[in-house]
Amino acid sequence: MASSKKLISREEWEKRLNNVKIRKEDMNKLVMNFLVTEGYVEAAEKFRMESGTHHIDLATITDRMAVKKAVQCGNVEDAIEKINDLNPEILDTNPQLFFQLQQQRLIELIRNGKVEEALEFAQEELAPRGEENQSFLEELERTISLLVFEDTSNCPVGELLDISQRLKTATEVNAAVLTSQSHEKDPKLPSLLKMLIWAQNQLDKKAAYPCINDLSNARLEDPTF
Amino acid sequence: MPSATVNKPRPSELLSRLTSAEPEVKVRALREVKNQIIGNRTKKLSFLKLGAVPAVAGILADSIDDVTENNNCNNTNNFLVQSAAALGSFACGFDAGVQAVLDAGAFPNLLRLLANPNEKVVDAVARALRMIYQSKLAPKYDFLQQKNMEFLISLLNSEKETVSGLGASIITRSCETNLEQKALFDAGILRKLNSLLEGGSLSQRDASLESLATVFRNNPEVISKFAGPEIGRPLSSIIDLAKDRYPRTRLLACMCLIVIRNASPHFLQDIGIKTKLIHILLELLDDPGQVGDEAPFAFSSLIAQKEDLQKLALEANAIDKFHHHIKKGSLHPRRYEGILLALADMCSKLESCRSKFLSLQVLNLVADALTDYNAGVRAAACICLKSVTRSIKNLSAGYFMNETIVIPLVQLFLDPSTSVQVAALGATSNIVVDFTTRKSIFVQCGGMKQLVQLAKSMESSVRSNALWALKNFVFQADNRLKEGVFSELTASLLSSLIRDPEPSVQEQALALVRNLVDGCINLIEFVFAEDGLILGAIGRQLQCASKAEIGIQGMYALCNVASGNEFHREAVMQLLFTQMGDKNQSFVVKFLQSNDSQLRTATVWTIVNLTCPSSPGAPCRLEKLRNAGIVSQIKNMVNDPCVDVKVTIFFIFRICFLFASLFWLT
Repeated sequence: MASSKKLISREEWEKRLNNVKIRKEDMNKLVMNFLVTEGYVEAAEKFRMESGTHHIDLATITDRMAVKKAVQCGNVEDAIEKINDLNPEILDTNPQLFFQLQQQRLIELIRNGKVEEALEFAQEELAPRGEENQSFLEELERTISLLVFEDTSNCPVGELLDISQRLKTATEVNAAVLTSQSHEKDPKLPSLLKMLIWAQNQLDKKAAYPCINDLSNARLEDPTF
Repeated sequence: MPSATVNKPRPSELLSRLTSAEPEVKVRALREVKNQIIGNRTKKLSFLKLGAVPAVAGILADSIDDVTENNNCNNTNNFLVQSAAALGSFACGFDAGVQAVLDAGAFPNLLRLLANPNEKVVDAVARALRMIYQSKLAPKYDFLQQKNMEFLISLLNSEKETVSGLGASIITRSCETNLEQKALFDAGILRKLNSLLEGGSLSQRDASLESLATVFRNNPEVISKFAGPEIGRPLSSIIDLAKDRYPRTRLLACMCLIVIRNASPHFLQDIGIKTKLIHILLELLDDPGQVGDEAPFAFSSLIAQKEDLQKLALEANAIDKFHHHIKKGSLHPRRYEGILLALADMCSKLESCRSKFLSLQVLNLVADALTDYNAGVRAAACICLKSVTRSIKNLSAGYFMNETIVIPLVQLFLDPSTSVQVAALGATSNIVVDFTTRKSIFVQCGGMKQLVQLAKSMESSVRSNALWALKNFVFQADNRLKEGVFSELTASLLSSLIRDPEPSVQEQALALVRNLVDGCINLIEFVFAEDGLILGAIGRQLQCASKAEIGIQGMYALCNVASGNEFHREAVMQLLFTQMGDKNQSFVVKFLQSNDSQLRTATVWTIVNLTCPSSPGAPCRLEKLRNAGIVSQIKNMVNDPCVDVKVTIFFIFRICFLFASLFWLT
């Protein structure tokens, strides 16, 4: 029984692939874009020296990475000062992000057992945020309730103390800084790969051909019926 | 037990460090102030009250002097950057801060610093200026002066995003008149903005879109020059941006396109673009942030007053979408207000929209909004009600005259905000035109008494709207209701309202009298109460009527009085003729000669009632009218363009012939 799908052999496939011209500069730009967005400063600089591909001012990447690292380590006050040095508008025009950072500060105070300081901070810094914007009140209450529970590892809001909370905040901060620098917050490479997978899914309906199943090595696998 | 040490200085302590002689202490205090106020409106206010802004502005000014004297570059730059950033933060989204920065004299210094060689200084200064220009309090920029235009062009041409962004925000804030728009076009600014649209960064594109919209607003000439064939197809770049991946860009592009549509009948009129705009804006509602808050306002500007767009939007399920969003609850007040106003615009003209609205039970949600803590939301809910209650079908069915709506609405009559009061009165005016017997509900919940109270308000808009609602309330109401209103109002209040300093109040008061005396003959006695207070007021007001509408309502009131008995008719005649002795013409002749057809109609109707043949005094009155030249004036109106007038005049001629023939007989 002949299949209705068209069969393309590996030989023919590779021949077709060879006919498609991709420019080196385009690939270099993609790599550089990935390194810069992800914040691999030294790699980006080395790549620039070796390939001649331009990138944005490395200092801005270094600054951004310093902010991200500060948040990841729980040094929120330091992170805030660094963001303000980079661009004071970011936190001034993004109440959601500012609240998230202040919330993280409170979480760190609670984590370190500084209960009195935490309460004072909540009253002086976070309560006004809640007054200025009612949608923050719920989050504020959740955070304060950490103080109530003796065993924070088992309480309903325990996830706030998790490192993942820091990482979440760090990602938000990174995105905000990137946007303020008019840089796109997502690298292009993942989108390309997603496009590849989608195209293959579409083609699967019409043909049997050598496809890529393992993205990390991009090896062509023989077509099957 | 001592609390954990934070070493955080009190704000007043920080402020005193700002004036320290040691630069290290000073710069650290400055940076600390900046970091405390960024993002923190409460702190901005408290530092403001302590006088921080003049102190920081002073540091900025001193540092400029240091620059000129070439003192210690690095330190000076640091001071400049930190003080500019602090001033910018005070001004960010905070009008009191903007005012303080301007009052401290920092503005000219900031402008000068744009020429500073250090990039970080320029960035900080440009941002601070842009914050100022985002406020209404920003100083007006005079585009018409040559050197100002050149300066603006240099800003837009700058490589630095912060500086070109400043240029764009100056345009967005300050460009107001057609003259300024033309001047900007002639200077080639639009071409520059267009190139930023196509080749600029995200923030440059957004800033450009806002500026372009400002220059296009209400100026079809500039639009056609811009969109004309010589510059390629710039409109297409804006249309493309309406599909951009960033929501804010999509919103700004839509707003720009809407400005173009509304100003010029030649562009963007095809159904494709109309449908696209509607869909994009409805989809933007899903954005959880500021973009989603502003989207309904853009939607309103697209569809307001335009039936074709309202129809398209209805087909795109706009009402369902708005309903879905309100149902979710805990909306930001701005978004809530926007959605309510958008619904108001949707239902303003088309019965199909109102039916959809009512069938989805949106009315209950809107009734809830009447008690919202935010004044803008309450006013918007009333405006929405006003639109929906234009549905005659549902008004006649008594759909709206129920406690869920009427009670909260009447409570709003006492709202602290005037705009809410006026909006509530507007909605009430429609609801009380209830053709069923349910008007008494309004009396029972105290609504009628409240309206009379509001007719005594200090605000003229409240007075006139309250009278409007009362006028509608007594329209074809039963005698008992009318008597209730009259006794609550009293003749002296009504006559003083007829003589109110505001023409709009006079007009509504006269219209109220017209509706009160219409119908049963007993009601005509109202105008004779307390020695004919009201009748006298009508006469005096008609003598000096400042606009046609006042004459119209007054004459119809007299017309209704003249439809009573002989006594009533004689009283009206006397009113018309008390000025006969004067050198001034009787207002009757003036009204008959008016350009306003309604006024002419009302006047001739009154004359018909006065000379109606079945009444014994008619011939006598006709004779008086003839002697006063009124009959010959009427004869001149044989070819009046208004059909109502012509038909009525025909009646008068028949009356004249009838009396003439009677005259021969006697």
